[in-house]
Amino acid sequence: MIRLEHLSKTFKKRVALEDLSLEIRQGEIFGLLGHNGAGKSTTLGMLLGQIYPTSGEAFIRGVSVQQNRQKALDKVGAIFEEPAFHDYLSGWDNLRILTSYSAHLPDEELREAVRFTGLEKRIHDPVWVYSHGMRQRLALAQALLPRPDLILLDEPAEGLDPEGIYEMRKLIVRLNRERGMTVVLSSHLLAEVEQLCDRVAILNQGRLIFEGRWSELTADPSPAHRLEVDDWKKAGGILQKLRVSRPTTETIVLAPGGDMADVVSALVKGGVRIRAIEPLRRNLEDIYLKAISAANGA
Amino acid sequence: MSLFFLQMRNELHKLFARKRTYLGFAAFVAVEILLLLLLNLPKPKAGFRKLIEQNGYGFDQYFSGATLGLLMLMWTTFLLGALYLALVAGDVVAKEVEDGTLRMILCRPISRLRVGFLKYAACVLYTFALTFFIGITALVAGLLYCGWGGLFAIAPLEQLLAMHEAWPGLWRYLGALPLLGFGLVSISSLGFLFSCCEMKPAAATILTLSIFFFDSIFRSIPYFESLRGWFMTSHMTLWLRVFEYHIPWWRIAEDVTWLGALNVTFALVGLAILQQRDFKA
Repeated sequence: MIRLEHLSKTFKKRVALEDLSLEIRQGEIFGLLGHNGAGKSTTLGMLLGQIYPTSGEAFIRGVSVQQNRQKALDKVGAIFEEPAFHDYLSGWDNLRILTSYSAHLPDEELREAVRFTGLEKRIHDPVWVYSHGMRQRLALAQALLPRPDLILLDEPAEGLDPEGIYEMRKLIVRLNRERGMTVVLSSHLLAEVEQLCDRVAILNQGRLIFEGRWSELTADPSPAHRLEVDDWKKAGGILQKLRVSRPTTETIVLAPGGDMADVVSALVKGGVRIRAIEPLRRNLEDIYLKAISAANGA
Repeated sequence: MSLFFLQMRNELHKLFARKRTYLGFAAFVAVEILLLLLLNLPKPKAGFRKLIEQNGYGFDQYFSGATLGLLMLMWTTFLLGALYLALVAGDVVAKEVEDGTLRMILCRPISRLRVGFLKYAACVLYTFALTFFIGITALVAGLLYCGWGGLFAIAPLEQLLAMHEAWPGLWRYLGALPLLGFGLVSISSLGFLFSCCEMKPAAATILTLSIFFFDSIFRSIPYFESLRGWFMTSHMTLWLRVFEYHIPWWRIAEDVTWLGALNVTFALVGLAILQQRDFKA
Protein backbone atom coordinates (compact mmCIF):
# COMPACT_ATOMS: atom_id res chain seq x y z
CA MET A 1 0.00 0.00 0.00
CA ILE A 2 2.75 2.45 1.01
CA ARG A 3 6.40 2.31 0.10
CA LEU A 4 8.91 4.86 1.29
CA GLU A 5 12.23 4.75 -0.51
CA HIS A 6 15.21 6.41 1.15
CA LEU A 7 13.26 9.46 2.22
CA SER A 8 15.35 12.27 3.66
CA LYS A 9 14.44 15.81 4.58
CA THR A 10 16.59 18.65 5.77
CA PHE A 11 15.06 21.95 6.89
CA LYS A 12 17.82 24.51 6.45
CA LYS A 13 20.58 22.74 8.39
CA ARG A 14 18.38 20.55 10.60
CA VAL A 15 17.98 16.95 9.53
CA ALA A 16 14.34 16.02 10.09
CA LEU A 17 14.43 12.64 8.40
CA GLU A 18 17.32 10.51 7.27
CA ASP A 19 17.14 7.74 4.71
CA LEU A 20 13.79 6.29 5.76
CA SER A 21 12.66 3.21 3.90
CA LEU A 22 9.45 1.47 4.93
CA GLU A 23 6.71 -0.68 3.57
CA ILE A 24 3.17 -0.67 4.89
CA ARG A 25 0.85 -3.45 3.80
CA GLN A 26 -2.75 -3.18 2.76
CA GLY A 27 -5.26 -3.64 5.57
CA GLU A 28 -2.88 -3.24 8.48
CA ILE A 29 -2.79 -0.69 11.25
CA PHE A 30 0.73 0.61 11.24
CA GLY A 31 2.16 2.75 14.02
CA LEU A 32 4.78 5.44 13.65
CA LEU A 33 6.24 5.90 17.08
CA GLY A 34 8.66 8.51 18.28
CA HIS A 35 9.01 11.47 20.58
CA ASN A 36 8.26 15.00 19.45
CA GLY A 37 10.59 16.02 16.65
CA ALA A 38 11.45 12.43 15.77
CA GLY A 39 10.25 12.92 12.18
CA LYS A 40 6.77 11.34 12.31
CA SER A 41 4.86 14.38 11.07
CA THR A 42 7.51 15.08 8.45
CA THR A 43 7.03 11.55 7.16
CA LEU A 44 3.26 12.00 6.97
CA GLY A 45 3.74 15.44 5.40
CA MET A 46 5.85 13.87 2.64
CA LEU A 47 3.30 11.10 2.15
CA LEU A 48 0.68 13.78 1.57
CA GLY A 49 2.92 15.80 -0.72
CA GLN A 50 2.87 18.77 1.64
CA ILE A 51 6.59 18.55 2.27
CA TYR A 52 9.05 17.92 -0.51
CA PRO A 53 11.74 15.36 0.35
CA THR A 54 15.35 16.43 -0.01
CA SER A 55 15.89 12.98 -1.50
CA GLY A 56 13.94 9.76 -1.90
CA GLU A 57 10.40 9.07 -2.93
CA ALA A 58 7.10 7.97 -1.40
CA PHE A 59 4.66 5.68 -3.19
CA ILE A 60 1.00 5.00 -2.45
CA ARG A 61 -0.45 2.04 -4.31
CA GLY A 62 2.61 2.18 -6.53
CA VAL A 63 2.03 5.81 -7.54
CA SER A 64 4.72 8.30 -6.65
CA VAL A 65 3.42 11.09 -4.41
CA GLN A 66 6.17 13.37 -5.67
CA GLN A 67 5.51 12.65 -9.36
CA ASN A 68 1.73 12.34 -9.37
CA ARG A 69 0.36 13.64 -6.10
CA GLN A 70 -3.27 13.87 -7.21
CA LYS A 71 -3.47 10.26 -8.35
CA ALA A 72 -1.53 9.00 -5.34
CA LEU A 73 -3.88 10.78 -2.90
CA ASP A 74 -7.01 9.80 -4.74
CA LYS A 75 -8.18 7.49 -1.96
CA VAL A 76 -6.38 8.87 1.05
CA GLY A 77 -7.84 10.54 4.12
CA ALA A 78 -5.84 12.29 6.80
CA ILE A 79 -6.21 14.03 10.10
CA PHE A 80 -3.74 16.05 12.10
CA GLU A 81 -2.91 16.51 15.73
CA GLU A 82 -4.80 19.79 15.86
CA PRO A 83 -7.37 19.68 13.10
CA ALA A 84 -8.02 23.13 11.71
CA PHE A 85 -11.37 24.32 10.43
CA HIS A 86 -13.06 27.56 9.53
CA ASP A 87 -14.41 28.18 12.99
CA TYR A 88 -17.00 30.71 11.88
CA LEU A 89 -18.68 28.12 9.66
CA SER A 90 -20.73 25.12 10.76
CA GLY A 91 -19.29 21.63 10.87
CA TRP A 92 -21.47 20.76 7.90
CA ASP A 93 -20.20 23.71 5.83
CA ASN A 94 -16.64 22.77 6.67
CA LEU A 95 -17.30 19.22 5.52
CA ARG A 96 -18.86 20.43 2.29
CA ILE A 97 -16.00 22.80 1.58
CA LEU A 98 -13.26 20.30 2.33
CA THR A 99 -14.82 17.45 0.38
CA SER A 100 -15.37 19.70 -2.64
CA TYR A 101 -11.59 19.66 -3.11
CA SER A 102 -11.88 15.93 -3.83
CA ALA A 103 -15.20 15.42 -5.56
CA HIS A 104 -18.80 16.55 -5.77
CA LEU A 105 -20.37 14.35 -3.10
CA PRO A 106 -24.06 13.84 -2.47
CA ASP A 107 -25.32 15.01 0.92
CA GLU A 108 -26.24 11.45 1.89
CA GLU A 109 -22.57 10.44 1.77
CA LEU A 110 -21.68 13.35 4.04
CA ARG A 111 -24.48 12.42 6.43
CA GLU A 112 -23.19 8.86 6.60
CA ALA A 113 -19.74 10.04 7.64
CA VAL A 114 -21.33 12.33 10.21
CA ARG A 115 -23.36 9.42 11.59
CA PHE A 116 -20.30 7.19 11.73
CA THR A 117 -18.43 9.72 13.84
CA GLY A 118 -21.48 10.43 16.03
CA LEU A 119 -21.73 14.15 15.23
CA GLU A 120 -25.32 14.21 13.92
CA LYS A 121 -26.72 16.43 16.66
CA ARG A 122 -24.06 19.12 16.49
CA ILE A 123 -23.05 19.13 12.84
CA HIS A 124 -24.89 22.38 12.08
CA ASP A 125 -23.35 24.26 15.00
CA PRO A 126 -20.48 26.63 14.27
CA VAL A 127 -17.15 24.92 14.80
CA TRP A 128 -15.97 27.49 17.33
CA VAL A 129 -18.33 25.97 19.90
CA TYR A 130 -16.95 22.45 19.38
CA SER A 131 -14.88 20.72 22.05
CA HIS A 132 -11.52 19.26 21.08
CA GLY A 133 -13.09 15.82 20.90
CA MET A 134 -15.80 17.04 18.53
CA ARG A 135 -13.20 18.70 16.33
CA GLN A 136 -11.34 15.39 16.14
CA ARG A 137 -14.57 13.65 15.16
CA LEU A 138 -15.22 16.24 12.49
CA ALA A 139 -11.66 15.77 11.27
CA LEU A 140 -12.27 12.06 11.07
CA ALA A 141 -15.56 12.61 9.23
CA GLN A 142 -13.84 14.72 6.57
CA ALA A 143 -11.04 12.19 6.28
CA LEU A 144 -13.62 9.47 5.54
CA LEU A 145 -14.91 11.38 2.53
CA PRO A 146 -14.93 10.26 -0.18
CA ARG A 147 -14.37 6.67 1.00
CA PRO A 148 -10.60 6.36 1.29
CA ASP A 149 -8.81 3.03 1.51
CA LEU A 150 -5.89 4.55 3.40
CA ILE A 151 -6.12 6.86 6.36
CA LEU A 152 -3.22 8.76 7.90
CA LEU A 153 -3.69 9.82 11.50
CA ASP A 154 -1.23 12.20 13.07
CA GLU A 155 -1.56 12.04 16.87
CA PRO A 156 -5.33 11.50 16.74
CA ALA A 157 -5.70 11.13 20.51
CA GLU A 158 -3.67 14.21 21.38
CA GLY A 159 -5.54 16.48 23.77
CA LEU A 160 -8.49 14.11 24.17
CA ASP A 161 -9.84 13.07 27.55
CA PRO A 162 -9.75 9.33 28.42
CA GLU A 163 -13.28 8.84 27.14
CA GLY A 164 -12.38 10.60 23.90
CA ILE A 165 -9.25 8.49 23.50
CA TYR A 166 -11.32 5.33 23.99
CA GLU A 167 -13.92 6.48 21.44
CA MET A 168 -11.27 7.42 18.91
CA ARG A 169 -9.58 4.06 19.36
CA LYS A 170 -12.87 2.26 18.78
CA LEU A 171 -13.48 4.27 15.61
CA ILE A 172 -10.03 3.45 14.26
CA VAL A 173 -10.54 -0.26 14.87
CA ARG A 174 -13.96 -0.10 13.21
CA LEU A 175 -12.49 1.61 10.17
CA ASN A 176 -9.91 -1.11 9.85
CA ARG A 177 -12.21 -4.08 10.53
CA GLU A 178 -15.48 -2.96 8.96
CA ARG A 179 -14.17 -0.98 6.02
CA GLY A 180 -10.85 -2.74 5.51
CA MET A 181 -8.94 0.54 5.62
CA THR A 182 -5.21 0.65 5.97
CA VAL A 183 -4.40 2.93 8.88
CA VAL A 184 -1.13 4.70 9.53
CA LEU A 185 -1.08 6.10 13.01
CA SER A 186 1.59 8.46 14.23
CA SER A 187 1.80 8.80 17.97
CA HIS A 188 4.02 9.21 20.94
CA LEU A 189 1.47 7.44 23.15
CA LEU A 190 2.89 3.96 23.54
CA ALA A 191 -0.27 2.42 24.96
CA GLU A 192 -2.26 3.66 21.99
CA VAL A 193 0.18 2.20 19.50
CA GLU A 194 0.43 -1.08 21.41
CA GLN A 195 -3.33 -1.55 21.54
CA LEU A 196 -4.03 -0.63 17.94
CA CYS A 197 -1.12 -1.43 15.72
CA ASP A 198 -0.15 -4.63 13.99
CA ARG A 199 3.31 -3.35 13.20
CA VAL A 200 5.30 -0.33 14.28
CA ALA A 201 8.22 1.75 13.20
CA ILE A 202 10.14 3.70 15.81
CA LEU A 203 11.78 6.92 14.73
CA ASN A 204 14.41 8.75 16.69
CA GLN A 205 16.02 11.99 15.55
CA GLY A 206 14.85 11.33 12.02
CA ARG A 207 16.22 7.80 11.84
CA LEU A 208 14.38 4.51 11.80
CA ILE A 209 15.50 2.48 14.77
CA PHE A 210 12.97 -0.34 14.71
CA GLU A 211 10.46 -1.77 12.30
CA GLY A 212 8.40 -4.85 12.94
CA ARG A 213 5.71 -6.37 15.09
CA TRP A 214 5.17 -4.91 18.51
CA SER A 215 5.53 -8.42 19.91
CA GLU A 216 9.11 -8.54 18.58
CA LEU A 217 9.91 -5.60 20.79
CA THR A 218 8.37 -7.24 23.80
CA ALA A 219 9.54 -10.75 22.97
CA ASP A 220 12.16 -11.03 25.72
CA PRO A 221 10.62 -12.72 28.77
CA SER A 222 10.27 -10.25 31.56
CA PRO A 223 12.67 -10.81 34.47
CA ALA A 224 10.13 -9.33 36.92
CA HIS A 225 7.37 -11.38 38.56
CA ARG A 226 4.79 -10.90 41.23
CA LEU A 227 5.06 -13.56 43.88
CA GLU A 228 2.76 -14.42 46.77
CA VAL A 229 4.03 -16.87 49.39
CA ASP A 230 2.98 -17.88 52.92
CA ASP A 231 6.34 -17.20 54.57
CA TRP A 232 8.40 -14.32 53.26
CA LYS A 233 11.10 -14.77 55.89
CA LYS A 234 11.90 -18.29 54.69
CA ALA A 235 11.47 -17.34 51.05
CA GLY A 236 13.78 -14.32 51.43
CA GLY A 237 16.75 -16.48 52.36
CA ILE A 238 16.19 -18.86 49.46
CA LEU A 239 15.80 -16.01 46.96
CA GLN A 240 18.99 -14.37 48.20
CA LYS A 241 20.93 -17.56 47.50
CA LEU A 242 19.53 -17.59 43.97
CA ARG A 243 20.58 -13.90 43.49
CA VAL A 244 16.96 -12.85 42.97
CA SER A 245 16.32 -9.25 43.97
CA ARG A 246 13.14 -7.95 45.61
CA PRO A 247 12.48 -4.28 44.79
CA THR A 248 9.13 -4.47 46.62
CA THR A 249 7.67 -7.06 48.99
CA GLU A 250 5.83 -9.02 46.33
CA THR A 251 8.02 -8.28 43.32
CA ILE A 252 11.02 -10.35 42.43
CA VAL A 253 13.46 -9.74 39.59
CA LEU A 254 15.50 -12.62 38.25
CA ALA A 255 19.23 -12.33 37.74
CA PRO A 256 20.39 -12.32 34.09
CA GLY A 257 20.01 -15.82 32.71
CA GLY A 258 17.84 -16.85 35.66
CA ASP A 259 14.92 -19.22 35.19
CA MET A 260 11.68 -18.85 37.11
CA ALA A 261 11.23 -22.65 37.17
CA ASP A 262 14.43 -22.97 39.23
CA VAL A 263 13.14 -20.36 41.66
CA VAL A 264 9.80 -22.15 42.09
CA SER A 265 11.53 -25.50 42.57
CA ALA A 266 13.90 -24.08 45.23
CA LEU A 267 11.06 -22.41 47.11
CA VAL A 268 8.97 -25.59 47.14
CA LYS A 269 11.95 -27.68 48.24
CA GLY A 270 12.59 -25.13 51.00
CA GLY A 271 9.04 -25.66 52.30
CA VAL A 272 7.62 -22.35 51.09
CA ARG A 273 4.00 -22.51 49.91
CA ILE A 274 3.49 -20.48 46.75
CA ARG A 275 0.04 -18.90 46.54
CA ALA A 276 0.41 -16.96 43.29
CA ILE A 277 3.00 -16.18 40.65
CA GLU A 278 2.74 -14.08 37.51
CA PRO A 279 5.20 -12.45 35.18
CA LEU A 280 5.06 -8.67 35.23
CA ARG A 281 4.82 -7.06 31.79
CA ARG A 282 7.62 -4.82 30.72
CA ASN A 283 6.98 -1.16 31.12
CA LEU A 284 6.25 0.26 27.65
CA GLU A 285 8.51 3.22 28.20
CA ASP A 286 11.31 0.79 29.05
CA ILE A 287 10.87 -1.02 25.76
CA TYR A 288 10.83 2.21 23.79
CA LEU A 289 13.81 3.66 25.59
CA LYS A 290 15.67 0.38 25.20
CA ALA A 291 15.15 0.50 21.44
CA ILE A 292 16.35 4.09 21.33
CA SER A 293 19.38 3.49 23.49
CA ALA A 294 20.27 0.39 21.48
CA ALA A 295 20.12 2.50 18.31
CA ASN A 296 22.14 5.31 19.87
CA GLY A 297 24.71 2.84 21.11
CA ALA A 298 24.98 1.15 17.76
CA MET B 1 -22.33 22.19 -11.42
CA SER B 2 -18.75 21.46 -12.42
CA LEU B 3 -16.27 20.81 -9.65
CA PHE B 4 -14.39 24.01 -10.41
CA PHE B 5 -17.47 26.18 -9.91
CA LEU B 6 -18.38 24.28 -6.75
CA GLN B 7 -14.90 24.97 -5.40
CA MET B 8 -15.11 28.59 -6.51
CA ARG B 9 -18.47 29.00 -4.79
CA ASN B 10 -16.99 27.54 -1.61
CA GLU B 11 -14.00 29.88 -1.74
CA LEU B 12 -16.36 32.84 -2.03
CA HIS B 13 -18.53 31.41 0.75
CA LYS B 14 -15.45 31.33 3.01
CA LEU B 15 -14.66 34.95 2.18
CA PHE B 16 -18.18 36.33 2.43
CA ALA B 17 -19.24 34.35 5.51
CA ARG B 18 -16.61 36.09 7.61
CA LYS B 19 -17.85 38.64 10.09
CA ARG B 20 -15.05 40.87 8.90
CA THR B 21 -16.72 41.19 5.51
CA TYR B 22 -19.89 42.66 6.96
CA LEU B 23 -18.02 44.87 9.40
CA GLY B 24 -15.78 46.04 6.58
CA PHE B 25 -18.65 46.80 4.26
CA ALA B 26 -20.42 48.65 7.10
CA ALA B 27 -17.22 50.64 7.70
CA PHE B 28 -17.25 51.74 4.07
CA VAL B 29 -20.79 53.04 4.40
CA ALA B 30 -19.81 54.85 7.61
CA VAL B 31 -16.82 56.51 5.90
CA GLU B 32 -19.01 57.51 2.97
CA ILE B 33 -21.53 59.17 5.28
CA LEU B 34 -18.73 60.94 7.12
CA LEU B 35 -17.29 62.22 3.84
CA LEU B 36 -20.73 63.31 2.74
CA LEU B 37 -21.16 65.37 5.87
CA LEU B 38 -17.65 66.85 5.56
CA LEU B 39 -18.19 67.81 1.91
CA ASN B 40 -21.34 69.63 2.92
CA LEU B 41 -19.66 71.77 5.55
CA PRO B 42 -19.76 75.49 4.59
CA LYS B 43 -16.03 75.81 3.80
CA PRO B 44 -15.61 72.89 1.38
CA LYS B 45 -18.95 73.73 -0.16
CA ALA B 46 -17.83 77.30 -0.78
CA GLY B 47 -14.65 75.97 -2.39
CA PHE B 48 -16.67 73.83 -4.78
CA ARG B 49 -19.00 76.73 -5.55
CA LYS B 50 -16.02 78.86 -6.50
CA LEU B 51 -14.50 76.14 -8.65
CA ILE B 52 -17.70 75.31 -10.52
CA GLU B 53 -18.73 78.92 -11.05
CA GLN B 54 -15.22 79.90 -12.20
CA ASN B 55 -15.72 77.46 -15.07
CA GLY B 56 -18.97 79.09 -15.99
CA TYR B 57 -21.39 76.47 -14.70
CA GLY B 58 -24.19 76.63 -12.16
CA PHE B 59 -23.31 75.40 -8.69
CA ASP B 60 -26.82 74.11 -7.97
CA GLN B 61 -26.80 72.02 -11.11
CA TYR B 62 -23.36 70.43 -10.69
CA PHE B 63 -23.03 70.08 -6.91
CA SER B 64 -25.24 67.00 -7.15
CA GLY B 65 -25.60 63.44 -5.96
CA ALA B 66 -23.38 62.15 -8.77
CA THR B 67 -20.63 64.70 -7.97
CA LEU B 68 -20.70 63.84 -4.28
CA GLY B 69 -20.84 60.14 -5.13
CA LEU B 70 -17.71 60.46 -7.26
CA LEU B 71 -15.84 62.38 -4.57
CA MET B 72 -16.84 59.83 -1.94
CA LEU B 73 -15.83 56.99 -4.23
CA MET B 74 -12.38 58.51 -4.85
CA TRP B 75 -11.61 59.10 -1.20
CA THR B 76 -13.12 55.92 0.16
CA THR B 77 -11.26 53.67 -2.24
CA PHE B 78 -7.99 55.51 -1.59
CA LEU B 79 -8.32 55.67 2.19
CA LEU B 80 -10.06 52.43 3.01
CA GLY B 81 -10.31 50.34 -0.16
CA ALA B 82 -6.57 49.80 -0.44
CA LEU B 83 -6.28 48.91 3.24
CA TYR B 84 -9.20 46.53 3.15
CA LEU B 85 -8.16 44.74 -0.04
CA ALA B 86 -4.59 44.42 1.21
CA LEU B 87 -6.02 42.86 4.36
CA VAL B 88 -8.26 40.41 2.51
CA ALA B 89 -5.67 39.43 -0.11
CA GLY B 90 -2.86 39.31 2.46
CA ASP B 91 -4.93 36.84 4.45
CA VAL B 92 -6.19 34.69 1.64
CA VAL B 93 -3.36 32.15 1.72
CA ALA B 94 -1.23 33.20 4.70
CA LYS B 95 -4.11 33.03 7.17
CA GLU B 96 -5.08 29.57 5.99
CA VAL B 97 -1.47 28.48 6.39
CA GLU B 98 -1.33 30.01 9.86
CA ASP B 99 -4.64 28.43 10.93
CA GLY B 100 -3.72 25.07 9.43
CA THR B 101 -6.75 24.90 7.13
CA LEU B 102 -4.54 24.88 4.03
CA ARG B 103 -2.89 21.68 5.24
CA MET B 104 -6.37 20.18 5.57
CA ILE B 105 -7.05 21.14 1.96
CA LEU B 106 -3.71 19.81 0.80
CA CYS B 107 -4.54 16.35 2.18
CA ARG B 108 -6.87 16.08 -0.75
CA PRO B 109 -6.13 15.12 -4.34
CA ILE B 110 -6.07 18.68 -5.62
CA SER B 111 -3.08 20.47 -7.06
CA ARG B 112 -1.58 23.44 -5.27
CA LEU B 113 -1.84 25.36 -8.51
CA ARG B 114 -5.60 24.89 -8.55
CA VAL B 115 -5.98 25.83 -4.88
CA GLY B 116 -3.90 28.95 -5.48
CA PHE B 117 -5.82 29.86 -8.61
CA LEU B 118 -9.15 29.45 -6.80
CA LYS B 119 -7.99 31.73 -4.05
CA TYR B 120 -6.68 34.34 -6.47
CA ALA B 121 -9.89 34.24 -8.50
CA ALA B 122 -11.92 34.62 -5.29
CA CYS B 123 -9.80 37.68 -4.42
CA VAL B 124 -10.45 39.22 -7.83
CA LEU B 125 -14.22 38.65 -7.59
CA TYR B 126 -14.21 40.02 -4.07
CA THR B 127 -12.41 43.15 -5.31
CA PHE B 128 -15.06 43.76 -7.96
CA ALA B 129 -17.87 43.09 -5.50
CA LEU B 130 -16.38 45.61 -3.08
CA THR B 131 -15.86 48.19 -5.82
CA PHE B 132 -19.45 47.94 -6.98
CA PHE B 133 -20.67 48.08 -3.40
CA ILE B 134 -18.71 51.27 -2.66
CA GLY B 135 -19.64 52.80 -6.00
CA ILE B 136 -23.35 52.14 -5.73
CA THR B 137 -23.68 53.08 -2.04
CA ALA B 138 -21.72 56.32 -2.62
CA LEU B 139 -23.99 57.22 -5.54
CA VAL B 140 -27.16 56.37 -3.63
CA ALA B 141 -26.00 58.30 -0.56
CA GLY B 142 -25.10 61.29 -2.74
CA LEU B 143 -28.43 61.23 -4.60
CA LEU B 144 -30.40 60.92 -1.38
CA TYR B 145 -28.54 63.84 0.14
CA CYS B 146 -28.14 66.19 -2.80
CA GLY B 147 -30.47 64.92 -5.50
CA TRP B 148 -30.21 64.62 -9.25
CA GLY B 149 -27.89 66.81 -11.33
CA GLY B 150 -24.80 67.09 -13.49
CA LEU B 151 -21.46 65.52 -12.72
CA PHE B 152 -18.45 67.62 -11.83
CA ALA B 153 -15.25 65.54 -11.98
CA ILE B 154 -11.99 66.84 -10.58
CA ALA B 155 -8.65 65.07 -10.01
CA PRO B 156 -5.69 67.50 -10.03
CA LEU B 157 -2.91 64.91 -10.34
CA GLU B 158 -4.62 63.42 -13.39
CA GLN B 159 -5.28 66.93 -14.71
CA LEU B 160 -8.95 66.12 -14.82
CA LEU B 161 -11.57 68.84 -14.68
CA ALA B 162 -14.80 68.05 -16.48
CA MET B 163 -18.53 68.76 -16.31
CA HIS B 164 -21.13 66.34 -17.63
CA GLU B 165 -24.88 66.53 -17.93
CA ALA B 166 -26.87 64.35 -15.55
CA TRP B 167 -27.48 61.24 -17.70
CA PRO B 168 -24.13 61.14 -19.53
CA GLY B 169 -22.49 61.77 -16.15
CA LEU B 170 -24.36 58.87 -14.59
CA TRP B 171 -23.40 56.50 -17.42
CA ARG B 172 -19.77 57.54 -17.14
CA TYR B 173 -19.92 57.00 -13.40
CA LEU B 174 -21.31 53.47 -13.81
CA GLY B 175 -18.90 52.74 -16.66
CA ALA B 176 -15.95 53.80 -14.51
CA LEU B 177 -16.72 51.22 -11.80
CA PRO B 178 -15.43 48.11 -13.64
CA LEU B 179 -12.26 50.01 -14.50
CA LEU B 180 -11.84 51.08 -10.88
CA GLY B 181 -12.30 47.43 -9.90
CA PHE B 182 -9.68 46.41 -12.44
CA GLY B 183 -7.26 48.97 -11.01
CA LEU B 184 -7.86 47.77 -7.47
CA VAL B 185 -7.16 44.17 -8.50
CA SER B 186 -3.50 45.23 -8.57
CA ILE B 187 -3.58 45.65 -4.80
CA SER B 188 -5.29 42.29 -4.41
CA SER B 189 -2.74 40.66 -6.71
CA LEU B 190 0.16 42.14 -4.78
CA GLY B 191 -1.45 41.04 -1.51
CA PHE B 192 -1.93 37.55 -2.94
CA LEU B 193 1.73 37.36 -3.94
CA PHE B 194 2.94 38.21 -0.43
CA SER B 195 0.29 35.96 1.08
CA CYS B 196 1.84 33.00 -0.77
CA CYS B 197 5.25 33.70 0.75
CA GLU B 198 6.34 32.27 4.06
CA MET B 199 5.20 35.15 6.23
CA LYS B 200 2.46 36.09 8.67
CA PRO B 201 -0.80 37.47 7.21
CA ALA B 202 -0.19 40.82 8.89
CA ALA B 203 3.25 41.07 7.26
CA ALA B 204 1.72 40.38 3.84
CA THR B 205 -0.84 43.14 4.40
CA ILE B 206 1.72 45.66 5.65
CA LEU B 207 4.07 44.97 2.74
CA THR B 208 1.26 45.38 0.22
CA LEU B 209 0.10 48.62 1.77
CA SER B 210 3.65 49.97 2.06
CA ILE B 211 4.29 49.38 -1.63
CA PHE B 212 0.96 50.94 -2.56
CA PHE B 213 1.48 54.06 -0.47
CA PHE B 214 5.14 54.49 -1.46
CA ASP B 215 4.15 54.14 -5.10
CA SER B 216 1.34 56.61 -4.60
CA ILE B 217 3.50 59.17 -2.76
CA PHE B 218 6.51 58.96 -5.08
CA ARG B 219 4.27 59.31 -8.10
CA SER B 220 2.99 62.64 -6.83
CA ILE B 221 6.48 64.08 -6.22
CA PRO B 222 7.30 66.45 -9.12
CA TYR B 223 10.89 65.12 -9.29
CA PHE B 224 9.52 61.79 -10.55
CA GLU B 225 7.18 63.33 -13.10
CA SER B 226 9.12 61.91 -16.05
CA LEU B 227 8.87 58.44 -14.52
CA ARG B 228 5.18 58.66 -13.68
CA GLY B 229 4.27 56.08 -16.30
CA TRP B 230 6.29 53.45 -14.43
CA PHE B 231 4.30 53.77 -11.23
CA MET B 232 1.56 51.22 -10.59
CA THR B 233 -0.79 53.81 -9.13
CA SER B 234 -0.52 55.99 -12.28
CA HIS B 235 -2.21 53.20 -14.20
CA MET B 236 -4.64 52.44 -11.39
CA THR B 237 -6.29 55.79 -12.04
CA LEU B 238 -7.46 54.56 -15.46
CA TRP B 239 -11.07 54.77 -14.31
CA LEU B 240 -10.83 58.56 -13.99
CA ARG B 241 -10.08 58.85 -17.71
CA VAL B 242 -13.71 57.89 -18.37
CA PHE B 243 -14.69 61.34 -17.03
CA GLU B 244 -12.57 63.24 -19.56
CA TYR B 245 -14.62 65.00 -22.26
CA HIS B 246 -13.14 62.81 -24.98
CA ILE B 247 -12.52 59.40 -23.47
CA PRO B 248 -8.93 58.41 -24.38
CA TRP B 249 -9.64 54.77 -25.20
CA TRP B 250 -6.10 54.10 -26.39
CA ARG B 251 -4.76 55.35 -23.06
CA ILE B 252 -7.24 53.20 -21.16
CA ALA B 253 -6.24 50.19 -23.26
CA GLU B 254 -2.61 50.91 -22.45
CA ASP B 255 -3.40 51.07 -18.72
CA VAL B 256 -5.44 47.86 -18.88
CA THR B 257 -2.56 46.10 -20.64
CA TRP B 258 -0.01 47.46 -18.19
CA LEU B 259 -2.05 46.51 -15.14
CA GLY B 260 -3.10 43.19 -16.66
CA ALA B 261 0.54 42.24 -17.20
CA LEU B 262 1.38 43.34 -13.66
CA ASN B 263 -1.49 41.38 -12.15
CA VAL B 264 -0.67 38.24 -14.10
CA THR B 265 2.96 38.55 -13.02
CA PHE B 266 2.03 38.98 -9.36
CA ALA B 267 -0.36 36.04 -9.52
CA LEU B 268 2.11 33.77 -11.32
CA VAL B 269 4.94 34.58 -8.92
CA GLY B 270 2.58 33.90 -6.00
CA LEU B 271 1.49 30.58 -7.50
CA ALA B 272 5.10 29.58 -8.16
CA ILE B 273 5.98 30.29 -4.52
CA LEU B 274 2.95 28.32 -3.35
CA GLN B 275 3.95 25.43 -5.58
CA GLN B 276 7.47 25.04 -4.25
CA ARG B 277 7.14 25.66 -0.51
CA ASP B 278 6.74 23.11 2.26
CA PHE B 279 3.68 23.09 4.50
CA LYS B 280 4.37 21.81 7.96
CA ALA B 281 2.77 22.19 11.35
